[in-house]
Amino acid sequence: MQSDSAAWLTVRGLSKQFGGAQALTAVDLDIHRGEVHGLVGANGAGKSTLIRCLAGVTMPDEGVVTVDGEEVRIAAPRDAEEKGLAFIHQELNLVPHFNAVQNMLLGAKKATRFGLIDWRRSRRMAAEAAERVGVQFSLDRRVDELSVAERWLVMIAKALVRDASMIAMDEPTASLSDHEAGQLFNIIRDLASDGVAILYVSHRLDEVLDLSDRITVFRDGKVTDREVRGGLDKRGLVRAIAGREVTAATRIDRGPIERDTPLFSAHNVAAGRMVKDVSFDVYRGEVLGLGGLVGAGRTEVARLAFGADKLDSGSFELEGKALPPRSIPAAVGAGIGLVPEERRSQGLMLEKSVGWNINVGVLKSLRTVPGLPFMSGAKSRSRSLALIDQLRIKTPGPNQVIGGLSGGNQQKALIARWLRPEMKVLFLDEPSRGVDIGARQEIHDAIRKLADDGVGTVVISSDVEELASLCDRVVVLSEGNVSGELIGDQITENKIIELSYAHIDQGGDE
Amino acid sequence: MNATLTKGKAVTGSEQIDRHSRRRVFLVMLSRYGTLVGLLAMIVVFSVRSPTTFLTLPNFLNILNQSSLTAIIAAGLTMTLVVGEFDLSIGYVASFSGLLVVGFIARDSLPVLLGVPIVLLIGAAIGTASGFLVTKVRINAVIATLGVGTILTGVGFAYSAFPIAAGVPPEFLQLSLGKPIFGIPNPIIIMIVVLAILWIILNRTDLGQKMQAVGGNIEAARLSGIRVDRVKMFAFATAGMCAALTGTLLSSLLGSGTLAAADGYLLDAFAAVFLGSATLRDGEFHIVGTLVGVLIIAVGFNGLSIFGAPTFFQPIFKGAILVLAVGLSTLARRYAKA
Repeated sequence: MQSDSAAWLTVRGLSKQFGGAQALTAVDLDIHRGEVHGLVGANGAGKSTLIRCLAGVTMPDEGVVTVDGEEVRIAAPRDAEEKGLAFIHQELNLVPHFNAVQNMLLGAKKATRFGLIDWRRSRRMAAEAAERVGVQFSLDRRVDELSVAERWLVMIAKALVRDASMIAMDEPTASLSDHEAGQLFNIIRDLASDGVAILYVSHRLDEVLDLSDRITVFRDGKVTDREVRGGLDKRGLVRAIAGREVTAATRIDRGPIERDTPLFSAHNVAAGRMVKDVSFDVYRGEVLGLGGLVGAGRTEVARLAFGADKLDSGSFELEGKALPPRSIPAAVGAGIGLVPEERRSQGLMLEKSVGWNINVGVLKSLRTVPGLPFMSGAKSRSRSLALIDQLRIKTPGPNQVIGGLSGGNQQKALIARWLRPEMKVLFLDEPSRGVDIGARQEIHDAIRKLADDGVGTVVISSDVEELASLCDRVVVLSEGNVSGELIGDQITENKIIELSYAHIDQGGDE
Repeated sequence: MNATLTKGKAVTGSEQIDRHSRRRVFLVMLSRYGTLVGLLAMIVVFSVRSPTTFLTLPNFLNILNQSSLTAIIAAGLTMTLVVGEFDLSIGYVASFSGLLVVGFIARDSLPVLLGVPIVLLIGAAIGTASGFLVTKVRINAVIATLGVGTILTGVGFAYSAFPIAAGVPPEFLQLSLGKPIFGIPNPIIIMIVVLAILWIILNRTDLGQKMQAVGGNIEAARLSGIRVDRVKMFAFATAGMCAALTGTLLSSLLGSGTLAAADGYLLDAFAAVFLGSATLRDGEFHIVGTLVGVLIIAVGFNGLSIFGAPTFFQPIFKGAILVLAVGLSTLARRYAKA
């Protein structure tokens, strides 16, 4: 048994590659008993990959993890649980129609009698854990009747029932009120003083600074900074996350863009928890970037503009005319398109051909005779061939099944789906995610070409380098609000990151 | 994982991959062409064993004639499966339509040319209602269509409680007994026409492409601007109309409206459609496949009866075919993906 001052869990030289991309490079990390350890970093900096490796969801390529001085192999979530590691993700993996007790005991060793579950004793185990986190509600209530804050308590109690020595929490306050967050912080401090280590992942830097005994900063898959309490202030932390100042030299200047009358505008758009007050303009022929952290509301705004979700308040305007609250077909008819974030689940029909996937959005225009419902094979073929050529989609031909293409070429086919004369505004959500560098360049060329043709293109990206090099103007969102706008040479990776954290920095301003 | 690692010492990696992919190719081939080979094998075996009874033009016309009612209802079912839903009410819709059409024509003395189209429209309306429950009210298709079907059974009972005085007119009987072209029975011709229309809709119209898109990836279809709910409702309406047509033809064949007469078509149709989805394509539902599936069942039954298999063998054959069909279809999809 080692003394409490030595690290309880150590990570040494952890590396992980996805496709060609290095997600983690030789990461070292120490976690002590009873500490709150903050993990910070921009989107894609490697925090999630590290957590997934510890949770047994992702297998690292290299690296050693020890617990209590012993080397451990975490190949499955079960292994992590055995070592006393618990993970609470934002989605809170609870069974909605089970009550709190059932959820806490799910998969845990229950007390049994004669081989059957002894619910009375099991319940007592759960009740003890619930008391430690100060649960006020009845444990017999179904989880789907509980508030998000109450569900968090259930998740934490669930970890305690399993005797977790470390609990990792991913963005715990994202959907809590200030008051609820305060209660959670007290629970976290209590747990830490009981010797439980807390791995705290959050974009809310105030909280991280306030709670953490130690902070580890990630950038581009590497640990770039380690601080102990009081070592950094907010400003310093933002700087550590953003890293070196990068020149805007990579940006391709597309020449002056006329910004007299907007082509498309969002006016004080609000919907649900995610989008609070968003206004921005899109001009003909420009590439506008929508920046911000994951969860800032960028995807949601695009879906609202596309008619996929309903507005609570605010409005959209296209060419000076208000767009009534409508449906996706209406948005498409008006000339708005969306290349969705999840290529495989939201975009492609994987078993169908490349040509089929390219043409599926414009079927009516490919009829033999406009009035009759019959498709013209020749028109379909010539359109798909032209677009395969235009976007340089690498495929043996339009009849190739699209599932067999590389991610980059699948993405190009999805963009091709929207290329038609009536297109006015095209939203592209993470257009180059999981795509190799060559394809990424071609996708960027295609986006610029689209803008040159007069389309207002809106690129959502978590990759600040992509925004900085591709966009003529960047609007940054933070927690459902617009936190700033950058034009031309103002656009740098650092400024985008600073603005991404802007609202959170102003001391919990909602 | 561990097993692979230990085996790795004896077998080199590439050999293992080779063996693996060869097995996969074999399985894909088996699932794509297995049904066709099975159908041909049955025909060959039956022909050799019984050239005088099985291998005759009248018997072949008989098989086709018997399969045509199943083929029509199964083709309608195919449409709902293409959009990723399914319809358990079709058998009941067919039975109900069979009662209704006899009621209209024999009791209410509507002309055949009016009564039959009305019943077909009622079938389409019932399908649309099921589609509405599934898409707009968001009831699971199993529950919605089972519920609708059960309600129809009750309504059918109530309807048939009225005495049907006059017999059915000969024009109505001619619907299924007539042989207008080269002595080919009417049901075969109707089947060919219906299947051709549905094939054209699925493969040559934008509506059909949309149906395939909805079935392929509903979220992607929605985000492509396709009105997913409407497309699904159309599929249900088609299934309802096809079921009504089958019910009508059955009543014409029987010369009366009989309670629950067509309920059994549900299982046959499902077996046929799933057999068909493993034919030529990898687990995709399509009209030609469905026809092959129907023929397999019909030829099998024909053979069983020619060779005098005991009656208890028929449900065994039917159940086995259904399980085999769904199994093949699932296999085809799994191995095509890998």
